[in-house]
Amino acid sequence: MHAIYEIISGPMVWLAFGIFILGSLYRLFSMGRLALKKDAVVFSYMSIYYALRSIVHWIVPFASVNMRKHPVMTLVAFVFHICLFVVPIFLFAHIIMIHEAWQINWVYIPNLAADVMTLAVIGACIFFFCRRLILPEVRYLTTYSDFLILAGVAAPFITGFWSFHQYPGHVAAGILHILSGEIILVMIPFTRLSHMLFFPFTRGYAGSEFGGVRNAKDW
Amino acid sequence: MGMRQVLTLLSIIGGMLLLTGIAAYSQGDIRFVKDSAFDDPMRPPVKFHHDAHNQKAGITECNVCHHMYEDGEKLEYEASIGMECSQCHLSQNDNSKMDLIRAYHLQCRGCHLKESAGPVLCGECHQKTDQ
Repeated sequence: MHAIYEIISGPMVWLAFGIFILGSLYRLFSMGRLALKKDAVVFSYMSIYYALRSIVHWIVPFASVNMRKHPVMTLVAFVFHICLFVVPIFLFAHIIMIHEAWQINWVYIPNLAADVMTLAVIGACIFFFCRRLILPEVRYLTTYSDFLILAGVAAPFITGFWSFHQYPGHVAAGILHILSGEIILVMIPFTRLSHMLFFPFTRGYAGSEFGGVRNAKDW
Repeated sequence: MGMRQVLTLLSIIGGMLLLTGIAAYSQGDIRFVKDSAFDDPMRPPVKFHHDAHNQKAGITECNVCHHMYEDGEKLEYEASIGMECSQCHLSQNDNSKMDLIRAYHLQCRGCHLKESAGPVLCGECHQKTDQ
């Protein structure tokens, strides 16, 4: 138990963050090179102004027609993404470990808020799962890896909730919590989760082409 | 049984009760690690049985845990028995509750990790009592 804990809470954390950061940089550069080779026009059309205009517009809830057409999906997606980042970064239990290691700390959220937001993430994952099964246009684009990714995203939140509330088997849940967090970090650059890295470029290019070439809005 | 014998018996019983009381309140039966500095704790206090722990861990010297430092040096023959950790670990101006928690965690969890024995995950020490 101690040996496992030491490995997953020590070297494997560094390894996971290393693969996440270096893998992200590799993916960004290789995608850039591929674009240059196959579709160089992307670079000449790219405009900072229209890219930012589009990105800002699309990160405002219900600002776009498409979002207003799918209000439930929009609400769930925004809540999901906000909680997904706020909980791990501003959780007291995480910050105290950062403080123990490096004596730096930042503002934290109350445990109750973390609980509610954790359940929101798990609930959103269930919603996305059902959506992929039920809506034909989404089902058509769904592969097994999408379900695996959903399970992977939900896993750290389920195990974290389990561990915090000390349900039976909470020690094993704590171990799985650390492991699943590391696994999801490693998955980000190499799966569909890479939209975390690419969204400024895809959204930015759409905004640039619509704004700068077609003199239109992309929303 | 004469009055004197009754008194003797009563005083023996009283003495035994008193000793039991002292023992119950002494560190031999510390139930929780508590510190007055934690007025609004994020987690439940840690259950801790002083004597049972030290027997299991083979700790005989008080200052293994109840340490005293001077100018960054641990004093070999001094101990901080009866003091709360916060008395030193919150005494400097730039100290925060975070630093106090860090001191507690490094003291307990740090040793458990070093010795590969004892609880290390959050919920193993900070047990919810309502279950």
